[in-house]
Amino acid sequence: MHPDAAGLPPGILGHHFSSLARQNEAMRLGMWLFLATEVLLFAGLFTGYAVYRFQFPEAFAECSRHLELTLGTVNTLVLITSSLTVALAIHYARTDRRRAAAICLVITLLFALTFLGIKAVEYAAHFHERSLPGKYYAYEAVKIPGAAMFFSVYFLMTGLHGVHVIAGMSVLSWILRRTLQGRYSSQYYTGLELGGLYWHLVDLVWIFLYPLLYLI
Amino acid sequence: MSESGTSGRPTQALHPDDRHDQRAHSALPYFAVWIALLFFTALTYLTGKQHLGTWALAIALIIACTKSTLVALIFMHLKDSSGTTRLVFVTSLIFVAVLLFFTVSDVATRFRPATPAGAPFGTERSQPEGLLEHELPE
Repeated sequence: MHPDAAGLPPGILGHHFSSLARQNEAMRLGMWLFLATEVLLFAGLFTGYAVYRFQFPEAFAECSRHLELTLGTVNTLVLITSSLTVALAIHYARTDRRRAAAICLVITLLFALTFLGIKAVEYAAHFHERSLPGKYYAYEAVKIPGAAMFFSVYFLMTGLHGVHVIAGMSVLSWILRRTLQGRYSSQYYTGLELGGLYWHLVDLVWIFLYPLLYLI
Repeated sequence: MSESGTSGRPTQALHPDDRHDQRAHSALPYFAVWIALLFFTALTYLTGKQHLGTWALAIALIIACTKSTLVALIFMHLKDSSGTTRLVFVTSLIFVAVLLFFTVSDVATRFRPATPAGAPFGTERSQPEGLLEHELPE
Protein backbone atom coordinates (compact mmCIF):
# COMPACT_ATOMS: atom_id res chain seq x y z
CA MET A 1 0.00 0.00 0.00
CA HIS A 2 1.02 3.56 -0.71
CA PRO A 3 2.49 5.42 2.27
CA ASP A 4 0.33 8.41 1.25
CA ALA A 5 -2.88 6.42 1.22
CA ALA A 6 -2.76 5.78 4.97
CA GLY A 7 -5.85 7.27 6.58
CA LEU A 8 -7.54 8.05 3.26
CA PRO A 9 -10.81 6.40 2.24
CA PRO A 10 -10.18 3.56 -0.25
CA GLY A 11 -10.07 4.30 -3.95
CA ILE A 12 -8.83 7.88 -3.75
CA LEU A 13 -5.13 7.51 -4.63
CA GLY A 14 -4.61 5.89 -8.03
CA HIS A 15 -1.89 3.22 -8.13
CA HIS A 16 -0.29 4.98 -11.09
CA PHE A 17 0.52 8.11 -9.06
CA SER A 18 3.65 8.23 -6.93
CA SER A 19 2.03 10.55 -4.39
CA LEU A 20 -1.28 12.16 -3.55
CA ALA A 21 0.24 15.59 -4.25
CA ARG A 22 1.10 14.56 -7.80
CA GLN A 23 -2.35 13.13 -8.31
CA ASN A 24 -3.91 16.38 -7.03
CA GLU A 25 -1.76 18.42 -9.38
CA ALA A 26 -2.66 16.19 -12.33
CA MET A 27 -6.37 16.51 -11.45
CA ARG A 28 -6.15 20.29 -11.23
CA LEU A 29 -4.25 20.54 -14.50
CA GLY A 30 -6.81 18.31 -16.23
CA MET A 31 -9.67 20.42 -14.91
CA TRP A 32 -8.04 23.67 -16.03
CA LEU A 33 -7.46 22.19 -19.50
CA PHE A 34 -11.17 21.39 -19.63
CA LEU A 35 -12.04 24.91 -18.41
CA ALA A 36 -9.80 26.35 -21.16
CA THR A 37 -11.87 24.50 -23.77
CA GLU A 38 -15.03 25.86 -22.09
CA VAL A 39 -13.64 29.40 -22.33
CA LEU A 40 -13.01 28.85 -26.05
CA LEU A 41 -16.51 27.44 -26.52
CA PHE A 42 -18.05 30.58 -25.07
CA ALA A 43 -15.50 32.74 -26.93
CA GLY A 44 -17.13 31.63 -30.19
CA LEU A 45 -20.46 33.03 -29.06
CA PHE A 46 -18.89 36.20 -27.68
CA THR A 47 -17.23 36.73 -31.07
CA GLY A 48 -20.57 36.30 -32.81
CA TYR A 49 -21.99 38.81 -30.36
CA ALA A 50 -19.17 41.28 -31.15
CA VAL A 51 -19.73 40.95 -34.91
CA TYR A 52 -23.49 41.56 -34.77
CA ARG A 53 -23.27 44.28 -32.14
CA PHE A 54 -20.82 46.03 -34.45
CA GLN A 55 -23.18 45.61 -37.44
CA PHE A 56 -26.36 46.62 -35.60
CA PRO A 57 -25.40 49.01 -32.79
CA GLU A 58 -28.81 50.70 -32.51
CA ALA A 59 -30.81 47.47 -32.60
CA PHE A 60 -28.61 45.94 -29.88
CA ALA A 61 -28.92 49.01 -27.67
CA GLU A 62 -32.68 49.25 -28.19
CA CYS A 63 -33.33 45.52 -27.53
CA SER A 64 -31.06 45.53 -24.50
CA ARG A 65 -33.18 48.29 -22.95
CA HIS A 66 -36.25 46.08 -23.32
CA LEU A 67 -34.74 43.28 -21.21
CA GLU A 68 -35.68 43.03 -17.53
CA LEU A 69 -32.64 44.78 -16.03
CA THR A 70 -33.81 44.16 -12.43
CA LEU A 71 -34.08 40.40 -12.99
CA GLY A 72 -30.66 40.32 -14.68
CA THR A 73 -29.10 42.25 -11.81
CA VAL A 74 -30.70 39.99 -9.18
CA ASN A 75 -29.41 36.94 -11.08
CA THR A 76 -25.90 38.45 -11.08
CA LEU A 77 -26.06 38.85 -7.29
CA VAL A 78 -27.43 35.29 -6.94
CA LEU A 79 -24.57 33.78 -8.97
CA ILE A 80 -21.87 35.83 -7.24
CA THR A 81 -23.16 34.74 -3.85
CA SER A 82 -23.37 31.11 -4.99
CA SER A 83 -19.70 31.35 -5.98
CA LEU A 84 -18.96 32.49 -2.43
CA THR A 85 -20.85 29.56 -0.91
CA VAL A 86 -18.96 27.08 -3.13
CA ALA A 87 -15.65 28.64 -2.11
CA LEU A 88 -16.77 28.34 1.53
CA ALA A 89 -17.77 24.69 1.03
CA ILE A 90 -14.21 23.92 -0.10
CA HIS A 91 -12.84 25.94 2.81
CA TYR A 92 -14.95 23.99 5.33
CA ALA A 93 -14.03 20.64 3.77
CA ARG A 94 -10.32 21.38 3.97
CA THR A 95 -10.69 22.41 7.61
CA ASP A 96 -12.61 19.18 8.40
CA ARG A 97 -16.03 20.77 8.95
CA ARG A 98 -18.04 18.44 6.75
CA ARG A 99 -21.47 19.50 8.00
CA ALA A 100 -20.77 23.15 7.19
CA ALA A 101 -19.40 22.12 3.79
CA ALA A 102 -22.56 20.16 3.02
CA ILE A 103 -24.79 23.08 4.13
CA CYS A 104 -22.83 25.46 1.85
CA LEU A 105 -23.33 23.09 -1.09
CA VAL A 106 -27.07 22.89 -0.40
CA ILE A 107 -27.26 26.71 -0.30
CA THR A 108 -25.34 26.84 -3.61
CA LEU A 109 -27.83 24.45 -5.21
CA LEU A 110 -30.72 26.60 -3.95
CA PHE A 111 -29.09 29.69 -5.47
CA ALA A 112 -28.68 27.81 -8.74
CA LEU A 113 -32.39 26.91 -8.70
CA THR A 114 -33.24 30.58 -7.99
CA PHE A 115 -31.12 31.62 -10.97
CA LEU A 116 -32.89 29.17 -13.28
CA GLY A 117 -36.30 30.20 -11.91
CA ILE A 118 -35.64 33.88 -12.63
CA LYS A 119 -34.30 32.97 -16.09
CA ALA A 120 -37.49 30.96 -16.72
CA VAL A 121 -39.61 34.01 -15.83
CA GLU A 122 -37.60 36.06 -18.36
CA TYR A 123 -37.87 33.39 -21.06
CA ALA A 124 -41.63 33.11 -20.49
CA ALA A 125 -41.95 36.87 -21.03
CA HIS A 126 -39.90 36.63 -24.25
CA PHE A 127 -42.16 33.88 -25.58
CA HIS A 128 -45.23 35.87 -24.59
CA GLU A 129 -44.13 39.12 -26.30
CA ARG A 130 -42.52 37.07 -29.11
CA SER A 131 -39.06 38.61 -28.73
CA LEU A 132 -37.64 35.41 -30.18
CA PRO A 133 -34.68 34.52 -32.44
CA GLY A 134 -34.65 34.73 -36.23
CA LYS A 135 -37.87 34.19 -38.13
CA TYR A 136 -39.92 33.76 -34.94
CA TYR A 137 -39.27 37.38 -34.02
CA ALA A 138 -42.51 39.38 -33.87
CA TYR A 139 -41.83 41.84 -31.05
CA GLU A 140 -43.99 44.94 -31.36
CA ALA A 141 -41.77 47.25 -29.28
CA VAL A 142 -38.61 47.08 -31.44
CA LYS A 143 -38.96 46.94 -35.22
CA ILE A 144 -35.55 47.73 -36.65
CA PRO A 145 -33.14 45.52 -38.62
CA GLY A 146 -30.90 43.47 -36.34
CA ALA A 147 -33.40 43.12 -33.47
CA ALA A 148 -34.09 39.48 -34.32
CA MET A 149 -30.32 38.94 -34.40
CA PHE A 150 -29.97 40.39 -30.90
CA PHE A 151 -32.45 37.86 -29.60
CA SER A 152 -30.74 35.00 -31.49
CA VAL A 153 -27.48 35.93 -29.78
CA TYR A 154 -29.28 36.46 -26.45
CA PHE A 155 -30.97 33.05 -26.50
CA LEU A 156 -27.83 31.21 -27.67
CA MET A 157 -25.62 32.80 -25.00
CA THR A 158 -28.02 32.60 -22.05
CA GLY A 159 -29.15 29.16 -23.27
CA LEU A 160 -25.65 27.70 -23.36
CA HIS A 161 -24.98 29.35 -20.01
CA GLY A 162 -28.20 27.83 -18.63
CA VAL A 163 -27.11 24.38 -19.80
CA HIS A 164 -23.88 24.95 -17.88
CA VAL A 165 -25.86 25.93 -14.77
CA ILE A 166 -27.78 22.64 -15.00
CA ALA A 167 -24.54 20.68 -15.56
CA GLY A 168 -22.98 22.50 -12.61
CA MET A 169 -25.96 21.60 -10.42
CA SER A 170 -25.57 17.92 -11.35
CA VAL A 171 -21.87 18.04 -10.49
CA LEU A 172 -22.52 19.82 -7.20
CA SER A 173 -25.30 17.35 -6.25
CA TRP A 174 -22.93 14.46 -6.82
CA ILE A 175 -20.26 16.21 -4.78
CA LEU A 176 -22.81 16.92 -2.01
CA ARG A 177 -23.51 13.18 -1.81
CA ARG A 178 -19.80 12.45 -1.53
CA THR A 179 -19.41 15.15 1.12
CA LEU A 180 -22.20 13.57 3.16
CA GLN A 181 -20.44 10.20 2.75
CA GLY A 182 -17.41 11.82 4.38
CA ARG A 183 -15.08 11.47 1.42
CA TYR A 184 -13.62 14.98 1.66
CA SER A 185 -11.36 16.09 4.48
CA SER A 186 -8.23 18.14 5.12
CA GLN A 187 -6.27 15.21 3.65
CA TYR A 188 -8.24 15.01 0.43
CA TYR A 189 -10.71 17.50 -1.05
CA THR A 190 -9.55 17.81 -4.67
CA GLY A 191 -12.77 16.33 -6.10
CA LEU A 192 -14.80 19.00 -4.31
CA GLU A 193 -12.33 21.68 -5.42
CA LEU A 194 -12.69 20.70 -9.10
CA GLY A 195 -16.49 20.77 -8.92
CA GLY A 196 -16.17 24.23 -7.40
CA LEU A 197 -13.91 25.33 -10.28
CA TYR A 198 -16.64 24.39 -12.74
CA TRP A 199 -19.19 26.41 -10.81
CA HIS A 200 -16.90 29.44 -10.71
CA LEU A 201 -16.54 29.24 -14.51
CA VAL A 202 -20.33 29.43 -14.81
CA ASP A 203 -20.13 32.58 -12.67
CA LEU A 204 -17.27 33.99 -14.79
CA VAL A 205 -19.27 33.66 -18.00
CA TRP A 206 -22.27 35.40 -16.43
CA ILE A 207 -20.05 38.27 -15.22
CA PHE A 208 -19.48 39.09 -18.92
CA LEU A 209 -22.98 38.24 -20.15
CA TYR A 210 -24.67 40.58 -17.68
CA PRO A 211 -23.23 43.94 -18.88
CA LEU A 212 -23.04 42.83 -22.53
CA LEU A 213 -26.70 41.82 -22.74
CA TYR A 214 -28.52 43.91 -20.14
CA LEU A 215 -26.52 47.14 -20.03
CA ILE A 216 -25.78 48.24 -23.60
CA MET B 1 10.67 32.39 -3.00
CA SER B 2 10.96 28.84 -1.70
CA GLU B 3 11.63 28.40 2.00
CA SER B 4 11.33 24.61 1.87
CA GLY B 5 14.14 22.66 3.47
CA THR B 6 12.37 19.34 3.89
CA SER B 7 13.81 17.44 0.95
CA GLY B 8 15.75 15.12 3.22
CA ARG B 9 12.71 13.73 5.04
CA PRO B 10 11.45 10.57 3.37
CA THR B 11 8.07 10.55 5.16
CA GLN B 12 7.22 14.02 3.83
CA ALA B 13 5.61 13.23 0.47
CA LEU B 14 4.13 16.68 -0.03
CA HIS B 15 4.59 18.30 -3.37
CA PRO B 16 5.87 21.90 -3.11
CA ASP B 17 2.65 23.12 -4.72
CA ASP B 18 0.58 21.63 -1.92
CA ARG B 19 2.35 23.50 0.85
CA HIS B 20 -0.36 26.15 0.99
CA ASP B 21 -2.77 23.42 2.11
CA GLN B 22 -0.81 23.00 5.29
CA ARG B 23 -1.10 26.57 6.49
CA ALA B 24 -4.01 27.59 8.68
CA HIS B 25 -6.70 28.35 6.12
CA SER B 26 -8.88 31.42 6.47
CA ALA B 27 -12.23 32.15 4.81
CA LEU B 28 -11.70 35.90 5.16
CA PRO B 29 -10.40 36.47 1.58
CA TYR B 30 -13.56 34.86 0.18
CA PHE B 31 -15.80 37.31 2.01
CA ALA B 32 -13.56 40.20 0.94
CA VAL B 33 -13.81 39.12 -2.71
CA TRP B 34 -17.58 38.69 -2.38
CA ILE B 35 -17.95 42.27 -1.10
CA ALA B 36 -15.69 43.52 -3.90
CA LEU B 37 -17.83 41.64 -6.45
CA LEU B 38 -21.01 43.20 -5.03
CA PHE B 39 -19.37 46.63 -5.25
CA PHE B 40 -18.31 46.12 -8.88
CA THR B 41 -21.77 44.80 -9.78
CA ALA B 42 -23.28 48.00 -8.36
CA LEU B 43 -20.68 50.00 -10.30
CA THR B 44 -21.41 48.27 -13.61
CA TYR B 45 -25.15 48.69 -12.98
CA LEU B 46 -24.85 52.43 -12.26
CA THR B 47 -22.44 53.20 -15.13
CA GLY B 48 -24.37 50.94 -17.51
CA LYS B 49 -27.63 52.75 -16.84
CA GLN B 50 -26.04 56.09 -17.80
CA HIS B 51 -25.50 54.87 -21.39
CA LEU B 52 -22.20 56.69 -21.61
CA GLY B 53 -21.89 56.25 -25.36
CA THR B 54 -18.43 55.50 -26.69
CA TRP B 55 -16.98 54.64 -23.30
CA ALA B 56 -19.82 52.44 -22.07
CA LEU B 57 -18.46 49.21 -23.57
CA ALA B 58 -14.90 49.88 -22.41
CA ILE B 59 -16.04 50.63 -18.84
CA ALA B 60 -18.31 47.54 -18.75
CA LEU B 61 -15.49 45.30 -20.00
CA ILE B 62 -12.90 46.74 -17.61
CA ILE B 63 -15.24 46.13 -14.65
CA ALA B 64 -16.10 42.60 -15.88
CA CYS B 65 -12.39 41.78 -16.31
CA THR B 66 -11.64 43.06 -12.80
CA LYS B 67 -14.43 40.89 -11.37
CA SER B 68 -13.23 37.81 -13.29
CA THR B 69 -9.65 38.34 -12.16
CA LEU B 70 -10.82 38.37 -8.54
CA VAL B 71 -12.88 35.19 -9.05
CA ALA B 72 -10.04 33.40 -10.86
CA LEU B 73 -7.30 34.39 -8.41
CA ILE B 74 -9.11 33.93 -5.08
CA PHE B 75 -12.23 31.76 -5.58
CA MET B 76 -10.54 29.49 -8.14
CA HIS B 77 -7.21 29.56 -6.23
CA LEU B 78 -5.17 30.55 -9.26
CA LYS B 79 -3.15 32.73 -6.88
CA ASP B 80 -1.85 29.58 -5.15
CA SER B 81 -1.77 27.35 -8.24
CA SER B 82 1.25 25.96 -10.03
CA GLY B 83 2.67 27.76 -13.05
CA THR B 84 1.45 25.02 -15.39
CA THR B 85 -2.16 25.55 -14.36
CA ARG B 86 -1.90 29.31 -14.78
CA LEU B 87 -0.26 28.86 -18.19
CA VAL B 88 -3.19 26.76 -19.41
CA PHE B 89 -5.75 29.39 -18.46
CA VAL B 90 -3.73 32.36 -19.74
CA THR B 91 -3.17 30.55 -23.05
CA SER B 92 -6.92 30.15 -23.54
CA LEU B 93 -7.36 33.88 -22.89
CA ILE B 94 -4.69 34.74 -25.49
CA PHE B 95 -6.58 32.71 -28.08
CA VAL B 96 -9.84 34.42 -27.15
CA ALA B 97 -8.11 37.77 -27.77
CA VAL B 98 -6.76 36.56 -31.15
CA LEU B 99 -10.21 35.32 -32.21
CA LEU B 100 -11.97 38.53 -31.19
CA PHE B 101 -9.34 40.91 -32.54
CA PHE B 102 -9.08 39.49 -36.05
CA THR B 103 -12.81 38.84 -36.44
CA VAL B 104 -13.80 42.34 -35.36
CA SER B 105 -11.00 43.88 -37.48
CA ASP B 106 -12.39 42.03 -40.48
CA VAL B 107 -15.96 43.17 -39.88
CA ALA B 108 -14.89 46.75 -39.16
CA THR B 109 -13.03 47.14 -42.47
CA ARG B 110 -15.66 45.69 -44.82
CA PHE B 111 -17.19 47.59 -47.70
CA ARG B 112 -20.93 48.05 -47.96
CA PRO B 113 -21.98 45.01 -50.06
CA ALA B 114 -20.32 42.75 -47.47
CA THR B 115 -22.50 43.94 -44.58
CA PRO B 116 -25.83 42.26 -43.79
CA ALA B 117 -29.07 43.71 -45.19
CA GLY B 118 -30.39 46.56 -43.08
CA ALA B 119 -27.15 47.12 -41.19
CA PRO B 120 -26.29 50.83 -40.97
CA PHE B 121 -23.14 51.77 -42.82
CA GLY B 122 -20.74 54.72 -42.77
CA THR B 123 -22.58 57.95 -41.93
CA GLU B 124 -25.79 56.04 -41.13
CA ARG B 125 -24.18 54.66 -37.99
CA SER B 126 -24.99 56.33 -34.68
CA GLN B 127 -23.46 59.79 -34.40
CA PRO B 128 -21.97 61.31 -31.27
CA GLU B 129 -24.78 62.70 -29.13
CA GLY B 130 -25.69 66.36 -29.51
CA LEU B 131 -24.26 66.75 -33.02
CA LEU B 132 -26.23 66.69 -36.24
CA GLU B 133 -24.62 65.18 -39.29
CA HIS B 134 -23.69 68.50 -40.93
CA GLU B 135 -22.11 69.67 -37.65
CA LEU B 136 -19.68 66.76 -37.47
CA PRO B 137 -15.95 67.47 -37.90
CA GLU B 138 -14.65 66.52 -41.32
